[in-house]
Amino acid sequence: MLPDLACSPCRLMERFLMDGFRPQQLSTYALTLYKHTATVGGKTILVDFWDTAGQERFQSMHASYYHKAHACIMVFDVQRRITYKNLSTWYAELREYRPKIPCIVVANKIDDIKVTQKSFNFAKKFSLPLYFVSAADGTNVVKLFSDAIQLAVNYKQTSPDFMDEVLQELENFKLEEKEENVPDQEQSGSIGSPSPS
Amino acid sequence: MMCTAKKCGIRFQPPAIILIYEHEIKGKSRQRIMPVRNFSKFSDCTRAAEQLKNNPRHKSYLEQVSLRQLEKLFSVLRGNLRGQSLAETMEQIQRETTIDPEEDLNKLDDRELAKRKRIMDELFEKNRKKKDDPNFVYDIEVEFPQDEQVLSCGWDTESADEF
Repeated sequence: MLPDLACSPCRLMERFLMDGFRPQQLSTYALTLYKHTATVGGKTILVDFWDTAGQERFQSMHASYYHKAHACIMVFDVQRRITYKNLSTWYAELREYRPKIPCIVVANKIDDIKVTQKSFNFAKKFSLPLYFVSAADGTNVVKLFSDAIQLAVNYKQTSPDFMDEVLQELENFKLEEKEENVPDQEQSGSIGSPSPS
Repeated sequence: MMCTAKKCGIRFQPPAIILIYEHEIKGKSRQRIMPVRNFSKFSDCTRAAEQLKNNPRHKSYLEQVSLRQLEKLFSVLRGNLRGQSLAETMEQIQRETTIDPEEDLNKLDDRELAKRKRIMDELFEKNRKKKDDPNFVYDIEVEFPQDEQVLSCGWDTESADEF
């Protein structure tokens, strides 16, 4: 299946990754995966971006989607009020599974409407950073993803989740004999826009 | 065939798409009447537009006329065949070619969703800065200082439960 390029998270990914834009469709989980290599603090890390690929049409995400996510990007469309209103539902679900991971709110499509002078209380209410971006003209797209990766790395290094620790223990148990020399793996769970926008 | 399209419109009776164009060498204004056949009030405007654009006799003349414009002209004709007023038809076209900001796309079926996505895609392409544009910059950072945000977005409610 071809990725659906009409959705804004896909557009944002496409703008950030440019030539490296190679969506992998994971049909089992109804999501799209993008792989990316970034350098943070002189270290090379692998980042997995997960995009919902329309899964949100089922009104709730599969729990596995949140598993081991180290950051979340929530996108809304400044032309469509409903995508903004839906943020609270998605945010509540996110916090159910990942109470502490960094989360960024993104106002997309600012190229069309002059909204950057306006205040959006949702971000303020939950003390979340708000980014004004445009996938079309590129405004703040690279900054958004760079900052998200940085936040994910910080989170992973400083506050490992209890569940992650347990799983890590299990993995270590299984891989005891194997030597690990793969780069540190990060998952920056990118929750797509709350609607297939 | 070198010609520059100037105007393209529709004639209701007998139905025809009419193109005003200029011959590139002679610089003379000419009119081409392309009769619309087998089109009823039940016809699909997208298909009719595609057929006309790919018609071997008209193809070279219609190169500069977008499929979207032809589609719209066929919609105007169809509205007329249905007995609608021009204003009614224009309103309908407007509704079908723009996104209703209040509509929850999560609740649409696949066909309707695909339509909306096409509209948004077109808008995106219009505003898009491509990699091969001469003034393309990969990393554009623009600061929007928070303290300058004096206006509310209008989407927040006053009550404490909501944001």
